[in-house]
Amino acid sequence: MAKVFIYPATSLILSDLVARYGHTPLSSATAIRERIQTAGIESVPLQITPEEPKKGLRWAAVEVPSGVRGRMALYGPMIDSCDAAIVIKDSDLAFGCMGCARTNELVKYLVREKKVPRLDLNYPKSEEEGTRFVAAIKRFLEGLGGGK
Amino acid sequence: MTGYAPKYPGTVTKYIVVESPTLTPSELAIHAYEISQGVMIKETCFGLAINGSEDVVDDLIRKLRAFDPDHIFVKDRGFVPGDPRRCRSSLGGARPGFHGIEFETTVLPYVSHGLTELRSRDAGSIPAPQDTLETKKLDVYTLKKLIEALEP
Amino acid sequence: MTVPVRIAQLSCGPEYSGVQQEINEAAKAVNGEIFFPDIALKDIIRDFEAFGLDVRSPDLKLAIARAKALAEGRIDADAVFIATCFRCAEAAIVRNELRRYIHNNSKLPVVSYSFTERTTAGTLLTRMEALTTIARRRALLARETQQGITLGVDSGSSTTKAIVMKDNRIVGTGWQPTTEVLKSAQDVIGHALTEAGIRRDEIEAVGTTGYGRFLVGKEIRADLIQEELTVNSKGAVYLADRQHGPATVIDIGGMDNKAITVQDGIPGTFTMGGICAGASGRFLEMTAKRLGVDITELGPLAMKGFANHVPMNSYCIVFGTQSLVNALAAGSSREDVAAAACHSVAEQVFEQQLQEVDIKEPVLMVGGTSLIEGLVHAMGELLQTRIMVPKYSQYIGAVGSALLASGFIRDD
Repeated sequence: MAKVFIYPATSLILSDLVARYGHTPLSSATAIRERIQTAGIESVPLQITPEEPKKGLRWAAVEVPSGVRGRMALYGPMIDSCDAAIVIKDSDLAFGCMGCARTNELVKYLVREKKVPRLDLNYPKSEEEGTRFVAAIKRFLEGLGGGK
Repeated sequence: MTGYAPKYPGTVTKYIVVESPTLTPSELAIHAYEISQGVMIKETCFGLAINGSEDVVDDLIRKLRAFDPDHIFVKDRGFVPGDPRRCRSSLGGARPGFHGIEFETTVLPYVSHGLTELRSRDAGSIPAPQDTLETKKLDVYTLKKLIEALEP
Repeated sequence: MTVPVRIAQLSCGPEYSGVQQEINEAAKAVNGEIFFPDIALKDIIRDFEAFGLDVRSPDLKLAIARAKALAEGRIDADAVFIATCFRCAEAAIVRNELRRYIHNNSKLPVVSYSFTERTTAGTLLTRMEALTTIARRRALLARETQQGITLGVDSGSSTTKAIVMKDNRIVGTGWQPTTEVLKSAQDVIGHALTEAGIRRDEIEAVGTTGYGRFLVGKEIRADLIQEELTVNSKGAVYLADRQHGPATVIDIGGMDNKAITVQDGIPGTFTMGGICAGASGRFLEMTAKRLGVDITELGPLAMKGFANHVPMNSYCIVFGTQSLVNALAAGSSREDVAAAACHSVAEQVFEQQLQEVDIKEPVLMVGGTSLIEGLVHAMGELLQTRIMVPKYSQYIGAVGSALLASGFIRDD
């Protein structure tokens, strides 16, 4: 089973297809779950404390806004550990964890630099595109090997 | 600073989204209640949110998917169902991530179509997606012809 | 307990900076309640496009659409809090435009803030208090004349001031540097009462403001304990006789600065800066000390000098002072150095704070620093306007408190 970073990391579609074809999706939800299920200092709503932007310094310098660094504390470790990635390029309407364009630019760049197998595509806009979209993802995931 | 102790450590929560012409979220919920053991189930407008230990949740999802495999979609969620920190009733408005799912549900019918197609077709035989966002520039020869056609 | 003031939050980043909890707590402390306007995806797409500011960040698009829903009255709120990450250019543009948009298209009080992961509830408290006061106490803020005999005390970080008012006139004043908060307050109250020839038991209502407002307010059993943003703007338009129409109030204080746009005596938007000492009255105090003059002499001295004769390499209170010392050593005149110090403070406030409010004339400068004419002159040059400094401007918080306190006089 390969760990596949999905972009947008909040995507239902990518999360589903990666798991459906036997691999592990690395998503925002799993990073948030880790925090929600760890005891510490209360920091509603996401249990992201002011310490997280400091952890984010590993991926973004101190002059980068705190919201970018806090988000990078979620995504940085996932990018570090991923074996592959699927990126939807035209994901302009993913909010919250994916709500900051600057973070998203950095995330996409770091995924690219990681030089793991990567599939870039757009959201399908017709049934025919839907078929191509699913087929491309299936081929990509099967090509990774070790699927469950 | 207040200390924080998690309420449901070691559990997972997953969303099950139904985008089906033949199965409604409430029907799926009834199926889930019938076969679930020791999981927390909450109906949402998209489908269900279920919480429990990972193996039990995965097993339930496997069974639920079987009802309509091409129209049921699953994703992880960080919070347990109804957690007030993310719940619309306590925030006043939807959490931002909701709008992301709202958007993707508009795309789901195309994905469902693809999943159904792939039951009878080999993925290798289907051409790669075209980058529909890249629009080709008009070449200069065609432009010249267009200009000439417009000149009296 | 009264119904909480419903504060709509328009933001990008606080949850990921670990400061949402601080925002919630600050609001809760002043009986406010943060909420997120509920809209659907189709509203986001439509309203973002209709607004026309084509930003990339989805959460900023969401903030824009939520702002439109508020301004168009599709969602009810009592006040608006706009918060985005410090140092994000995209968000700064959205923050400013939304503040302006809401101010121009609704009656909702709005405050904007750029946070870092270090932002605490304490930092946000005064802003939230002002926001909820404007939403909750419009009737109180509508007061234009002082009645009866009232006392106002401004327990500031540098100085403590007291004012006694009778029948819409100032009859007693007290002023001294803040040492022990309560003792300083008692001293200035005593001075103001003596000057007025009025006994303490003749006072019909009392108001306090400033950093020490809660402590002093409790001690002297104040009827009104109120943050300085609303009190000072009220005091400023009262003293300047500009109670109707627009005005901008600038108060460069000992520890923080306030810039407030006022409409009919009620604050609309405001900023409050308190991070850099180099943009405060403290810097001018240090300069005066260095030049061997009293702070009251710094202003007239600066008026005789030229700021641009002295190279200032930094706005910082440490390195800026170093520049001034170097200039003196290199032969610059004391007048030029005094002018450069005034210019440095004015320019920093202009660049870092006044950009966040829409300057509307008349511009009123208040607080102790408004008596330093070199500073007022430098600010006037930067804003290209003639700045008004009303009489008693150094007592602004105390006057505002005494004025508003008369709303608490009981008819018995």
